[in-house]
Amino acid sequence: MAMIIIVVLLLLIGGYIVMTYNTLIAQIEATRNNQKQIDIQLDRRFKVFESLINVVKKYMDYEKTTLKDVVALRNQAQQAKSQGDEKARIAAENKISDIASNINVVFEQYPDLKANQNCMQLQEEIVSTENKLAYAKQSYNDSVETYSATKKSFFTAMVVSLFRTKLDMDFLYWQLTQDKIAAQEDYTVKL
Amino acid sequence: MSELDRYANSTVDWRKTLRTNNRRTFFVIAVFFAIYFLLGLLVDTYLASMHYPQAPVSQIFSALITLHIFPIATLVMLAVAAISLLVTFTLHDKLMLLGTEYREITPETAQTLLEKQLYNCVEEMKIAAGLHYMPRVFLIEADYMNAFASGYSEKSAMVAITRGLAEKLNRSELTAVMAHELSHIRHMDIKLTLMASVLANLMLMVLDIFFYSALFSRRSNGDDRSRNGLVAIIILLRYLLPVINILLLLYLSRTREYMADAGSVELLRDNQPLAQALLKIQNDHDNNQAQYRDAYQQTPHENVRREAYIFDPVQAGIEPMTSLADAFSTHPNLKDRLAAIGFKLK
Repeated sequence: MAMIIIVVLLLLIGGYIVMTYNTLIAQIEATRNNQKQIDIQLDRRFKVFESLINVVKKYMDYEKTTLKDVVALRNQAQQAKSQGDEKARIAAENKISDIASNINVVFEQYPDLKANQNCMQLQEEIVSTENKLAYAKQSYNDSVETYSATKKSFFTAMVVSLFRTKLDMDFLYWQLTQDKIAAQEDYTVKL
Repeated sequence: MSELDRYANSTVDWRKTLRTNNRRTFFVIAVFFAIYFLLGLLVDTYLASMHYPQAPVSQIFSALITLHIFPIATLVMLAVAAISLLVTFTLHDKLMLLGTEYREITPETAQTLLEKQLYNCVEEMKIAAGLHYMPRVFLIEADYMNAFASGYSEKSAMVAITRGLAEKLNRSELTAVMAHELSHIRHMDIKLTLMASVLANLMLMVLDIFFYSALFSRRSNGDDRSRNGLVAIIILLRYLLPVINILLLLYLSRTREYMADAGSVELLRDNQPLAQALLKIQNDHDNNQAQYRDAYQQTPHENVRREAYIFDPVQAGIEPMTSLADAFSTHPNLKDRLAAIGFKLK
């Protein structure tokens, strides 16, 4: 009888250790994943901003040059019309149509690409990208919190001491340096 | 903002809110399972008492518990529950959008800035919640302001919001609502409430079948004492259990709403956007009550979504009461919800 009780107790303790071990490993890996998520978002921010700037630049240039072209062609057409040169006029009008259809292609690539809308989309993309980065950091800190709290809590800490190399990780919370914090605190918007 | 000025802001420990509600959920689910097995055992006892008319109930009962008699009814009920859960889970996301006019939003299909923003908000919250899969995003073409989440796992998750909500909320409020919905997914609320309601409905069905069969078989031989006692229990349960079921389900769904609200605060680390969004939704429903009543009523299968919505239309006096469950809201009232995230009426 005593034997059975001891065996059952040992099994229970063993089961608890295995479960705790697995929980901690899952938490460690989740934390690592979230840590990498910050890198992913930093990388994403770089790429998104780079391409955004390029698109906007290209579009702005395109808009400027097209506008000039259209105005010039319009003038040609008007001139031809007043001179009665129907052939030159049709040629100029046709070129304008070509430009218009090209603009349509650009429009299809970037829906609602109007001057104001353009800025708003840019703004939305910047806000969202910055938010994603901030939330990735927050998510990382959350997983560090969960892991550290589990690791340090009673009973779990005893299991951790059995497998120090595997279970005892030291993750640092994502934070700014003291100098940086001081600088950011002093920051106000100057209008 | 002006509406929110009527409330005093204070800090609230969302970790504690999550913990207490987790405990409550565990309690509700445990009670459900207990009732479920007790009912199964009752049916088994009844069946066994037909086989052994002489044996007293207590003896049959202990024989069942110690597995001397095989509890066949309990196991059949369990199997039926498992199958119906499986069917519900596989059909669920289709079911949830039933009767609405909807469109899926992806980065490729986003046509306007609004849709792009909506997708971005969901993606931001997905990152904050540390989810591994991006839920599918649906926009429902409706004027009223509401949103819901569905899906039985992270992988099959979806969120749907109405155009009215997307247009009338600002970016941070929209993010707060999305955080609330993603919290439902993260806490696996859909799975839980579905499971509870399937179990509850099955219990009532079994009880009904049982009730009628007991009534009719009773006439054949009325001098059976142990069975007479059981029949009395059955009749009592027939009227008591539906009420208990409804109360438990409501308690569960309200608890989960509080948890999702706390989850939203957890993800945003700010309680103001959610409070503002909730107030806006409530006021909007109050102001356009007549119009929205028509809109809700003209949308078929609205009751499927009721529990999942961020705001229960019944609270704004919309929707007719068709059953006992409609008399109570599936959601806590706005004042309590705001108090739970730290806004107390001044």
